Amino acid sequence: MNYKNIFSRLAIMGLALLLAACAAPVTRVEVGEATIGKRLAVKVDAAWNQFGGGLTNGVPTWTMEGITIDALSFYTDIKDGQTFGPSNPPKGRQPVIFKASMQPADIVAMFQSLQTQDGSSFTLDKLEPAQFLGGQGFRFEYSTVRKVDEVPLKGVAYGRVRDGELFLVSYSAPRLVFFPRYQPRVEGLIKSVSLRS
Amino acid sequence: MRRRALIGCAQCLALSSLLGPAASRAQSSWLAPPRFERPDVASEEGGLWAMMDREETRLRRSPFILRDAGLQTYLQDMASKLAGSHAPDVRVYPVRTPFFNASMAPNGMMQVWTGLLLRVDNEAQLAAVLGHEIGHYMQRHTLERLRDIKSRSAFGMFMSMFGLVGLVGQMAAIAGAFGFSRDQERQADHIGLALMRQAGYDTREAAKVWDNLRLELAAVHGGDPSQRSPLFASHPGSAERSGTLAELAAGDSGGYLGEEEHRRALAGLQAQMLDDELKRGQTNETLALLNRLIERQPERADLLYSRGEARRLRAAVGDPELAYADFERAVALGSEPAECHRALGYLHRSRDQADRAREAFTRYIDKAPAAPDAALIKSLL
Repeated sequence: MNYKNIFSRLAIMGLALLLAACAAPVTRVEVGEATIGKRLAVKVDAAWNQFGGGLTNGVPTWTMEGITIDALSFYTDIKDGQTFGPSNPPKGRQPVIFKASMQPADIVAMFQSLQTQDGSSFTLDKLEPAQFLGGQGFRFEYSTVRKVDEVPLKGVAYGRVRDGELFLVSYSAPRLVFFPRYQPRVEGLIKSVSLRS
Repeated sequence: MRRRALIGCAQCLALSSLLGPAASRAQSSWLAPPRFERPDVASEEGGLWAMMDREETRLRRSPFILRDAGLQTYLQDMASKLAGSHAPDVRVYPVRTPFFNASMAPNGMMQVWTGLLLRVDNEAQLAAVLGHEIGHYMQRHTLERLRDIKSRSAFGMFMSMFGLVGLVGQMAAIAGAFGFSRDQERQADHIGLALMRQAGYDTREAAKVWDNLRLELAAVHGGDPSQRSPLFASHPGSAERSGTLAELAAGDSGGYLGEEEHRRALAGLQAQMLDDELKRGQTNETLALLNRLIERQPERADLLYSRGEARRLRAAVGDPELAYADFERAVALGSEPAECHRALGYLHRSRDQADRAREAFTRYIDKAPAAPDAALIKSLL
């Protein structure tokens, strides 16, 4: 209840970067076909950087400009009753659980609860049916303002529940420059996603 | 003068522990320090103020600031009433963040988060929190903490001479410096109550703030709020706090509640605050909050819709039936938000009631044709 918010913010960022440097290996994703998780195949037309470890909470995440700028996240093979997002949610936080019976709007609500857990804002701009993983899925666009640095971001995501498992790919980047720059490439990449048997 | 005020406060604290409720009346004799002059910029306090001035400049431009002139005036008037002679130096900023929190910087910048505004039942409860924050300001608690940080930093530098172990020691020293100490929080509670009393508020409402929050957090944390709330983490235990405040107010009677005024000031923000609360996805906490709000205002369709939606999203055993009852009640009241029909449509759909789902979705689209999910809903018709 004082200016501890500022100190906390700085400390958390510093600590996160410190831990990330120790525990988050960055690997290059080369042009060609890449596999994410157990069986998600993606056709890559330009090199990306893949982050792992603590900074991305175990969710495979790619970036063009750096993890604090743009992030392409792959939520794959999430089964009924499984936690969505970080495998270890923050202490005391009610975990976000995926249920196979969820409607697209419920999955968006689940996604937005992850995005807003630090106080960031979230506005759904569009939710529509879309082809994804070779079948009927959904696509949504959203806007957020990150609480930590108040950067306005724009995002797009595709999702589908297939045989009771959730697959969702999201991309977000600063609204004015980076999102429009990379959106066509990201949408093309997402359309190329397929499942290996 | 400040020294006298501190001694006065310390005496009150000591007396209250000895005399119980009788001491509460002594609190009203607490003397506020005179208005602060701007500290010399070369001093450590001046540096602290300069840092907070920069933060305030950033805050004024922040997209999280609520630019609602009516609410701004309402909060500023409240803070002025509580701050007395310090009123010209306290500036209140309502911030759109759905967590229970308020903060006070040493230069007089106060932030009040919407999660707090949603959770208090009346103006007196809000005054208890604002008074507490002004208590920190009047006692210059931040400066005390800064000096504490400095001494910890010196310790940390010494530890860092020993490599990794030293680094850990340094981090622990810095971590311990966040927030006010528990003693400072207790002192701010006492001063907050004295300021409430001087401003004419019903001091018996102060303990209810913490009781209500404790109930909400207990819905998730099994009765241990310190496990979650950043506020409780550095504050005295909520049971102790509530008990002390109730004891201090026990000798008081009457006072201003301001329930209607509080509702009026927040009327235009309710939909946004409830929407932000739902977006958190912390349905257990949200349901504890909404149960309490609906108990006080059972005829509010927006509250009923929000509770129904929290239940629909949680989808525990029995939740869909209870959600359905809330939605139906909201529709019967006639002022339900459009989203209530969308939620009904999803419920009918999950029960394979295609006709009823179509009817509800159609109503949603009629009421909100430009809704962001209109394309998806139309595909379900």
